[in-house]
Amino acid sequence: MKQIMIHPERCVGCMQCMAACAAAHSRSGHLFAATLESPLPKPRIHVGSGLWEEGFPNRCRHCDPAPCLFACLPGAIFRDEKTNTVRVDPDRCINCASCAMACPFGVIRYHAVPFRGGKKVVAVKCDNCIERQGRGEIPACVEVCKSGALTFEESGEAMKRKTDAVSRSVSAGAEGTELPEGFSLLRAIKKARLQLQERR
Amino acid sequence: MEYVIIGNGIAGVSAAESIRPIDREGRITMIGDETFPPYCRPMISMVLEGAVGSDRLPIRGADFYERLDIRPLLGARVSEIDVDGKTVITEKGEAVSFDRLLIASGADPRPIKAEGLDLKNIFFMRTEAHVRGMERALPDVRRALVLGGGLVGFKAAYGLMCRGIEVTLLIRSGHPLSMQADAAAGKMILEKLTGRGLDVRTGLAVTAFSGKGRVRQAHLTDGSELPCDLAVIGKGVLPSRSFIPRDHIDLDLGVLVDDYLETNVSGIFAAGDVAETTDIARRSRWVNAIWPEAEAQGRIAGMNMAGQKIRYGGSLSRNVIRIFDTDILTAGIVTPESDAVYTAIQSKDPLYGTYRKMVFREDRLVGAVLVNRIEQGGVLTALIRSQMPITIEKERLLDPLFNVKMLMKQ
Repeated sequence: MKQIMIHPERCVGCMQCMAACAAAHSRSGHLFAATLESPLPKPRIHVGSGLWEEGFPNRCRHCDPAPCLFACLPGAIFRDEKTNTVRVDPDRCINCASCAMACPFGVIRYHAVPFRGGKKVVAVKCDNCIERQGRGEIPACVEVCKSGALTFEESGEAMKRKTDAVSRSVSAGAEGTELPEGFSLLRAIKKARLQLQERR
Repeated sequence: MEYVIIGNGIAGVSAAESIRPIDREGRITMIGDETFPPYCRPMISMVLEGAVGSDRLPIRGADFYERLDIRPLLGARVSEIDVDGKTVITEKGEAVSFDRLLIASGADPRPIKAEGLDLKNIFFMRTEAHVRGMERALPDVRRALVLGGGLVGFKAAYGLMCRGIEVTLLIRSGHPLSMQADAAAGKMILEKLTGRGLDVRTGLAVTAFSGKGRVRQAHLTDGSELPCDLAVIGKGVLPSRSFIPRDHIDLDLGVLVDDYLETNVSGIFAAGDVAETTDIARRSRWVNAIWPEAEAQGRIAGMNMAGQKIRYGGSLSRNVIRIFDTDILTAGIVTPESDAVYTAIQSKDPLYGTYRKMVFREDRLVGAVLVNRIEQGGVLTALIRSQMPITIEKERLLDPLFNVKMLMKQ
């Protein structure tokens, strides 16, 4: 089963995944129409920044076992076994924020969604774009990511690629990693700028 | 194998659910006072405020006992445990023998001393039956009195206010939510509630209730009288342990358990609001009577009863409260007693209405308070739970943009 993989070292912090995610979970499904909707669609992937302002796409890991699922008071959080997706039933959710206290990654938000009139505030998190996948499409965040920070692939294959890259990098005569130089350059610039600001 | 579980709250339910897949043959008996299907206790305050109907309370289907092949003995409490004879005796006189026993009897509301407590419309707020009683009384209620500035008192006051009832809250000490939040956060909640019309009186207690059949007045320690046609007593809870033989089973405030939730008697376990476990932040024994710990303890105790050896990592006090448009999330030690051992840092942003406080013991996080923007609360709770050293600047944890990536080196 294919899953969304995150490669934070490739994230440039452009936040296009956030816009695409919000649009994908809107009524219209289109970015420009989505900006006029009420409730205003919001992303379920959150690009934050690390200590040196490096981009960090943060989304639900669909943990197993999932702490949010155990913590949910009304039993609104459940696991969709077929797609290995931890989901929230907006009808059962009582917006108690018990899951906010449980999620070790801080990826759950609370706002209205296009559901029954769009007035009810509920816990909102990544749903692996189950609806899009049902139409044969890949998750919206992955589709729009230009830098390869988000991929949609079999976890075994992704793991093998990483393992291979590590073993190549430690071999004699290694040519470095597969990561293009631009990424490390961008990081170096961001870090240097912050260090200069601190010195001033 | 004969399993007996005392209590059908979340600890008992979770225990039964983790025993059954491991031991399909064993006989499980659950003894419970409440006859309602297993339900979500923290949600009863939401029923009071009218946010959810009582039909949403059950967390398991009516077929729960049947589905897991459990023999339910409901409607009576346990009156005695015969440790040597390995038998539990109920108030109805039924005797049930056990090989493995779980004490998950929970907690009962702390009683108060006052005259006239037998009048109608004086309630505790602990069970769905209490809230059902309150709901029935509501149509004739205009003024309510809530005793206790703890979590239950606040939730009761908030719930009644949401129903359009004039509420007076009596707090014995000046500082509300003293067990859950620090003074600053407590004050923010108090201001929210008083801003919406809550009448708060501090340093006072009730000496007597009076009325004809049902409560009409409360008489306070300063000699004044307060008209009220409903009263809620929310003075906290005490572990329900009167049936536990002290000469056999080690008791403190709660039943003492080891890292595997077993008592000093082999084969007898305890979990939930009645159990006294090791508190991760305080590094001492503590009764953390909260729903998520009861669920975890029940689940782990059940596995250990069925013969696995699963370690319980300790408990952590924590709470999240939503009152009107204000969110408060707290975890661990929020009001440190000693400056020598703990350092606390805080920040306030009036623009966003946020307040944050972090409490450290050396380089470990041991407590956190968040008022509004609580989304990263789980990251902080996980940091307290894991006791990982914080290697970044501590102030970073107060940053409104704090996220889990900031804890990573690269």
